Amino acid sequence: MPDTVQFAPARVLVVGATGFIGHRLVQALAREPSLLPVAASRRAVPIAGIEAVACDATDPAAMTRALAGIDLAVNCVAGNDAAMVTATRVLCDAARRSGLRRLVHLSSMAVYGDATGLVDERTPATPPLSGYGAAKQETERLVREWEQDGGRAAILRPGCVYGPGSEQWTGRIARLLRAGRLGDLGPDGDGVCNLTFIDDLVAAIITCLTRDEAVGETFNIAMADPPDWNAYLVRFARALGATPINRLSGRQLRLESKLAAPALKLAAIGTRVARLSVRMPDAITPSLAGLMRQDIRLDVNKAAHLLGLGETSLDWGIAASVRWVDGKRGGNTADTLMETRAS
Amino acid sequence: MIGDARRIVRDTVLTAEICVIGGGAAGITLALALRNSGLRVLLLESGGLQEHAPTQALYEGEVEDELLHSPTDKYRQRRFGGSTTIWGGRCVPFDPIDFDARPWIPNSGWPIAYDTVARWYPAANELVEAGAFDYDARTARNGGMQPMIEGFAPQEFDVDRIERFSCPTDFAGRYRHRLERAESIRVLLHANVTKLQAARDGGRISHAEVRTLDGGQFRVQADQFVVATGGLETPRLLLASNDVHADGIGNAHDLLGRTYMCHVAGTLGTLRLNDAKVWHGYDRAEDGTYCRRRIALTEEAQHAHGLGNLVFRLHHPRIPDPAHRTGALSAIYLAKHLISYEYGKRLTGDGPTNARTWLRHVGNLVTDPFGAADFLTHWVRHRTLAARKFPSVIIRPRANLFSLDFHGEQVPLPESRVHLAAATDPFGMPRIRVDWRYSPLDVRTVATGFALLRQEVAESGIGSLSLDPHEADIEAMVRRDGAYGGHHIGTARMGDSEATGVVDGNGRVFGVNNLFLAGSAIFPTSSQANPTLTIVALALRLAAHLQSRATTPVDLTTRPATLVESGA
Repeated sequence: MPDTVQFAPARVLVVGATGFIGHRLVQALAREPSLLPVAASRRAVPIAGIEAVACDATDPAAMTRALAGIDLAVNCVAGNDAAMVTATRVLCDAARRSGLRRLVHLSSMAVYGDATGLVDERTPATPPLSGYGAAKQETERLVREWEQDGGRAAILRPGCVYGPGSEQWTGRIARLLRAGRLGDLGPDGDGVCNLTFIDDLVAAIITCLTRDEAVGETFNIAMADPPDWNAYLVRFARALGATPINRLSGRQLRLESKLAAPALKLAAIGTRVARLSVRMPDAITPSLAGLMRQDIRLDVNKAAHLLGLGETSLDWGIAASVRWVDGKRGGNTADTLMETRAS
Repeated sequence: MIGDARRIVRDTVLTAEICVIGGGAAGITLALALRNSGLRVLLLESGGLQEHAPTQALYEGEVEDELLHSPTDKYRQRRFGGSTTIWGGRCVPFDPIDFDARPWIPNSGWPIAYDTVARWYPAANELVEAGAFDYDARTARNGGMQPMIEGFAPQEFDVDRIERFSCPTDFAGRYRHRLERAESIRVLLHANVTKLQAARDGGRISHAEVRTLDGGQFRVQADQFVVATGGLETPRLLLASNDVHADGIGNAHDLLGRTYMCHVAGTLGTLRLNDAKVWHGYDRAEDGTYCRRRIALTEEAQHAHGLGNLVFRLHHPRIPDPAHRTGALSAIYLAKHLISYEYGKRLTGDGPTNARTWLRHVGNLVTDPFGAADFLTHWVRHRTLAARKFPSVIIRPRANLFSLDFHGEQVPLPESRVHLAAATDPFGMPRIRVDWRYSPLDVRTVATGFALLRQEVAESGIGSLSLDPHEADIEAMVRRDGAYGGHHIGTARMGDSEATGVVDGNGRVFGVNNLFLAGSAIFPTSSQANPTLTIVALALRLAAHLQSRATTPVDLTTRPATLVESGA
């Protein structure tokens, strides 16, 4: 809820509006009376009733144009690591001139690297960091630098963002479960599964746009009491009907991550070079295998206390995920409606 | 963290709030359950991460009748993970009747109610990785499990009760990394406890003496001690700790080592079915666990006929007898030397293989090659290579011809006992001598149970159940497999008072304030059920009890940890 009553709704530029999170965010913002979303993406893709603007986020001139008349912005840019860093630098530089009142920047739990145990926002990274984690760390640094120059920002570090629209933590996992390539992983799935339901993240972003307590802060955004990976995989598989659930041995998982994943990567490059439109099977990468063993739990107390954020139950989140996955499989590519959130 | 006792400086005194002796199903469960309790736990395990012959040899002992009981270093493993490193994974909860004092079974009845154990079963089921705690064929799987014998609904037996299977989960392999990560847990491998030292008044344990095979020795002082070394080793340690308590700790009433039970088990009879549809294999629950129906003697029938608890399972014909004409079974027979002692024992038949028998098995293989090949393919795929293993040999006999596996309760008999032998191990600790006995009631349970089932089969019209001619003497059949492998029960039984038990309902040794026992040694009766699931459930219950009893923390060690140990 906004702290101040505004007569004209604030214009919110969503950078990366066609991505998974950006897309869901734009739809949610459209329902907020005090906020007016402006969807920025490389090619302006029309979304019913929403103002769209074409903007290559790595192009300073385009970004400067896009920020004209904008009050608030959310940085949801995805893509490769270098582009993510460039886009953030361009956004912050453009914001130095545009008079942007507030930026909500999406980072990731990947900035903690190999840290274990209960991890709060002040916990330093434990090396090694993934390329993605290092890039996210650099984007955070750029945002904080902008803040030192007078900008106002909040940084969010979500865990594994799952739910309708999540290819990475819902679509991909569902395909691997149905193929019997994921399941109960035994000791290899004992790591903590720091899930963030997409609509909880969207709610956190909107809260950070409107609550002054968020400014200058960084927040972990995830379930307070997360399951381990085995529990997530088993519950999701049961809900999908991908049963009986397979128990995978450490040997199978090592074959997947050390042999199959690199081969699939090479094959993907090959099909790109040859311009073949082949859908490659999903890979269980070494980083995914490592994450499923990692004993890291995001401490979300700060978000709960400062922003008063609640969370969606895992049962609810999984049920919504299954509806989305089944809808996609049924050829229904139409966008799913925003799920009603559990209180 | 996991460390090595061989690195502990000689004569060090380690201290902890809780000292657990034995890192098998019970000990590892205790450590896991206490890892977030704030209590510092020291778990002493004799073995290492692998089997080690000189350590395993510490289990060697004497057996009164070698035909009735396996050697004492078989069916149990002295290494981290204990016998979960070799178990078959069969999980079955005890039944409510097992906890009752049954007038027809002397020394029956537990001092605790079924519900006090049952509330820990769901968590135990999760730890042993046997899926949901659902042992009803109608609900264990969506839409229910397939019927075993279509149209067979006996009165005296329940055919909807099932057994579920663990992976089978090796507790060390599965949970080692959790213990490594737990800061309040310290596991010391290669640590042999050779004596529990009672305080002068006998009322508490002051310390445990620990020795290593390479000559090390140290002491452990703890607020509370738990002995979780299995049904044979637990009485051994308590009997051997006899300087303050002259007859051994907890043995004031001569109960320690007595009422030693296993199960009576074996394969019996021939079930000929007309055209009934039969499914004697496994169903898989949604959670992936293998589930199988059993034919369980109802509580009412046990009351009415004065019998112990009993189950039957539909089984393929006896493997050593080539009359089954089934290639896959003959293949197993011919490969029996490749099968471990623990599982190959029942393949040895009634005598040495003669050339004629051997040739007939080869004949079966030649005339039924596809049956054998199919079996082998399935076995390699779903057992050898699988992480959740297909639990047992399921072979559809060529005719609608089956035998019955029986697994019955053995009643507590004071004469059936484990005591100390004159011989000693390299630490000077007396070895054990096993004098296992069974009761006429055990035989009657199987014989009457069989007769009841035969009658029900005949009345239902589905076929006929008969004893093979050489099985006329049921007692000989019960005796053939003797004390059924690996279930060592009752040697330090729970009781209402020290006149009837070694430990109370919480597992605390009567008269010793800080000594607890875990594991199947404390079961007063044996049930029809395999013990592991109940061992784990009782260990979880004990962990909660110890936590509630614990006082303020004290230092883990009298010396800085860095001085006494530099890592695993």
